[in-house]
Amino acid sequence: MSDWSQVTRPIPVPNDWTKPFWDAAKQGVLKLQRCQACRRFQHPPYPTCVDCMAIDLAFEPVSGKGAIYTYTIMYHAGDKRFASAVPYASIIVELDDAPGALLAANLLDAPYTEAKVGRRVAVVFQPLNDDITLPQFRLAE
Amino acid sequence: MWEHRCKIAVSGVGFSRVTRSAEIPLAAHALQAVKGAVEDSGLAMADIDGLATYPELPATGHAVIDGVTIVSVNCMLAMLKLPNLSWHIQVETANIGGAVQQAVNALLAGVCTYAVVWRAMHNPKGTYQNLPGTYAQGATQFTAPYGFGGPGQGMAVAYTRWLERHGQSREKMATLAVTQRKHTHMNPHAYFYQQPLTREDYLNSRMVAYPFCLYDCDIPVQGAVAIVLTTAARARDLKPRPAYLAGYGQRLLFEVAGRIGSLSSYMEGGRSSSRLTWERSGFSPKDVDVAQIYDGFSASVIYGLESYGFCKEGEALDFIQDGRMELDGELPLNTFGGSLGTGRIHGLWHIIEGALQASGRAGERQVKDVNVSFVGASAPIVTGTTFIFVREPY
Repeated sequence: MSDWSQVTRPIPVPNDWTKPFWDAAKQGVLKLQRCQACRRFQHPPYPTCVDCMAIDLAFEPVSGKGAIYTYTIMYHAGDKRFASAVPYASIIVELDDAPGALLAANLLDAPYTEAKVGRRVAVVFQPLNDDITLPQFRLAE
Repeated sequence: MWEHRCKIAVSGVGFSRVTRSAEIPLAAHALQAVKGAVEDSGLAMADIDGLATYPELPATGHAVIDGVTIVSVNCMLAMLKLPNLSWHIQVETANIGGAVQQAVNALLAGVCTYAVVWRAMHNPKGTYQNLPGTYAQGATQFTAPYGFGGPGQGMAVAYTRWLERHGQSREKMATLAVTQRKHTHMNPHAYFYQQPLTREDYLNSRMVAYPFCLYDCDIPVQGAVAIVLTTAARARDLKPRPAYLAGYGQRLLFEVAGRIGSLSSYMEGGRSSSRLTWERSGFSPKDVDVAQIYDGFSASVIYGLESYGFCKEGEALDFIQDGRMELDGELPLNTFGGSLGTGRIHGLWHIIEGALQASGRAGERQVKDVNVSFVGASAPIVTGTTFIFVREPY
């Protein structure tokens, strides 16, 4: 099990396009940007819909359930802030509600060897400070 | 077919010394490479009237200092003081292959006659890819907090997806690393020249970002390479036999910054670029006699082989076995050693080798009876470009 207790993570800085994502995460809700024209979710957020070019986009809640789309196991921490956690699993999650939207995360509360393509995961929320909470994932049924 | 097929050619090529760390300013490496290319062409420096490069420092979190960590067009202008200069550019979206393509376009437009393109790469002291500092801005806000740093991890997650979707094993990649290192022994300019690598070395090497071990990653170095491009008619009057450009393409796929891991994006990027190159040149993968495919990370070769159409999806690691990528194999691949052998100089060295193989100038590592020489000059996803050079301009 990777020990995250000593890791100091870079803190996300929300901007105009990403603030609703971080505001929702702080409330323990996962919201993704959704095109109001073609109804597709996309992540990371972008100023336009990358599928239909519409500019009418809004953040809507998603269930937070999905599967590991892919992963890497980090053995070499170039950044010393992550050195105490190696080896650790950095995963890419595809949510059931939002095919094509890919979220980066870490696999928490499980040995890194549990990371496999297709494994079911569910969102958990990890506060970094008073303002920012990171969506993270752990294994689910 | 492209109306400008075989109207432009690569003439001379040049190399600097490649070192692990910076012993002299990067500008000196670039100058050595450019002088070498001009001399190889049999031209005088005053003949050069076009300049193009892609100067980016791919290492993140380091200062950009012209002449030291990058070599811009301005820096080259200051060093060369070309009396007949009539055109120059540095590109943004398509890496060094884009700079070569811009030079081709400028020659076709008649706004210059002998263009030099160089790529100079710096290896900064300390960690190559730094995560952002205390705060993660822009696209990194969705990746850096989870420990995703440089492009290696982004490439690693796509590779994991490829391996598990296709039920493949990473051990088969040893063939690529070992064969390319064998080719490196015939390339005296390469960083790993005369440094052997065995299958056991590969299989026992330390893991960096699974599925990538140390030998799946090119080594950061300090060095530069350069080429002279001109019109086919002029190239025929120069010293070296020309390598004629039959066609080129660039990736047409858009990917949102910070969206990482999409294997299909690598495939679509490569397909879009190669489709243009096949259509423009009139060739297809079965016509290709020798191929150079960008290998900053080994998996890039897999995405290239499959998306360019050399084999089916999921089969690239089987395709490279049984001697198929050797100099006398069905598709000799990365015959100069690739970036895994030369060190991290990006794709201009792949373009150089593609041209040398087409013109029969690859020396000890020359593949027999080459006419069609293919180059995939960057990872297909973000900056992919592809080229075909031919020996005979028919």
